[in-house]
Amino acid sequence: MLKDITFGQYYESRSPLHRADPRMKIVLMIVLIVFVFIAGNIYALLFSAVSVLITLAVSKVPFKMYFKNMKAILPVLIFTAILNLFYGDGQVLIEIWKLTITTTGVYKAVFMALRIALLIFISSVLTYTTTPNDLTDAIESLLSPLKFIGLRSAVHTLAMMMTIALRFIPTLVEEAEKIINTQKARGADLESGGLISRIKALIPILIPLLISSVRRAYELAEAMECRCYNGGEGKTRMKQMKLSVTDLWTVLGAAVICGGILTLNILL
Amino acid sequence: MSILEVKGLTHIYNSNAAFVNDAVSNVSFSVEKGEIIGIIGHTGSGKSTLVQHLNGLLKPTQGTVLFNGEDIWKNPKEIKKIRAQVGLVFQYPEYQLFEETVWADIAFGPKNMGLEGDELDQRVKDICRLIGVKDEYLYKSPFDLSGGEKRRVAIAGVMAMRPKVIVFDEPTAGLDPRGREDIMKIISDYRKDSGATVIIISHSMENMAELADRILVMNRGRLEMFDTVENVFSQSERLREIGLNVPVVTKVFEKLKSCGINVDTHVFTVEQAVAALKKVKAGVSDA
Repeated sequence: MLKDITFGQYYESRSPLHRADPRMKIVLMIVLIVFVFIAGNIYALLFSAVSVLITLAVSKVPFKMYFKNMKAILPVLIFTAILNLFYGDGQVLIEIWKLTITTTGVYKAVFMALRIALLIFISSVLTYTTTPNDLTDAIESLLSPLKFIGLRSAVHTLAMMMTIALRFIPTLVEEAEKIINTQKARGADLESGGLISRIKALIPILIPLLISSVRRAYELAEAMECRCYNGGEGKTRMKQMKLSVTDLWTVLGAAVICGGILTLNILL
Repeated sequence: MSILEVKGLTHIYNSNAAFVNDAVSNVSFSVEKGEIIGIIGHTGSGKSTLVQHLNGLLKPTQGTVLFNGEDIWKNPKEIKKIRAQVGLVFQYPEYQLFEETVWADIAFGPKNMGLEGDELDQRVKDICRLIGVKDEYLYKSPFDLSGGEKRRVAIAGVMAMRPKVIVFDEPTAGLDPRGREDIMKIISDYRKDSGATVIIISHSMENMAELADRILVMNRGRLEMFDTVENVFSQSERLREIGLNVPVVTKVFEKLKSCGINVDTHVFTVEQAVAALKKVKAGVSDA
């Protein structure tokens, strides 16, 4: 069913990571991802793996949810691992035709797979602990320096577009379901036939959906204008983002992780 | 044999707590050929969910729907045939329009039934003549029509399949009085021509009183009453309790009675009201 599509994966819970400033979370996520790539040896990588696992526990989002994300990316993970398996020199383990699997190949495969897995976990922490609206607000705030190079309205417009898009996804899903039912009642066949006839069968659904989206856009624009919306200029916010003590702790935590990775990189 | 029979129908939307009230539970009723059935109920009482079972858009969680005595889900592959027999016109059906011309849009349903060529053209033109879609509109884009015309074309799209039972979900919602009258006329024209059974969901008690043979009242997913117009609208207390009402004329007569004027409150349409008032007048002049 269309209804089962979840967009934005926010998971309601009470954890320090949920409370942390979304801007801080975005910055720290980028920093952590960079450091996972800096981690050059297996010890540094294992250290970051343990740190990420602790972060997952702190987020109070069930591990089940994180592994659900992992499942989606599993084919990429396996593909990368297999590809790396054959690149490497060192002691030959197995030789099939022209392909050889060596010890370094196995090492590399595990290393790359773990690295990708960590990337997914880190970005999942952000999306699970931050509501889509907070995310767009944070992006707007983080991009605000662009206004000094004359892109003032562009930043706000972009953020507003993202917010509206997120807001209308459930509405459009509902609308699509209604139209599907209507056309089915007129005998439309969506379930059988070859690829071409199935694509053709979508036309009676996509056209009404497109038309109603355009209609909605006009209505929304009018409603916004009626309430004196004129872009970002001079607009104040109901929810102000402020850094708090929690953010200090999050930064400290991230600093420890990054420091650890660097130390292990240099020492070992 | 009833043309449509619903037995112990229960529908539960899967594990979505927000919709529990909207589900239908243990509803049974049967509709005879050629009847006009009105369905009333407050918002979220399960009316729309109920009618979507009649043509197999929804599959009952429990219970069965019989069309001409046969379970419509007996052979799930044949469900398309049921949808041509039991037509369903949704709320705001004009949003279903998609083709380049009015003709093509009306032809969509019959084409899905396998009609083609002259037969298809004849089918489309017949229905247009019947419900007053002008010939000059046939090769226009449906999007260039006015709101009321769009709805007329959309309804024609379902009627062109010549269903034996036709179900309307609030066919007059959002139309002006003239448009509402037009739609009601289309419905009765189609019925006269095809002898079809008609089921209408409506919030207009006046329309229901005028049109329906029997009225089905839904309340919180359950069947509250299913009886003649007279029997349903004489229970005004209960109807108000479940967020519904009686026709305005009935209210007027109830008020008259409470003012001490001796009138019969079993008055549901304007015509009945006129007759009742004449009787009172005659009674007064007699005395």
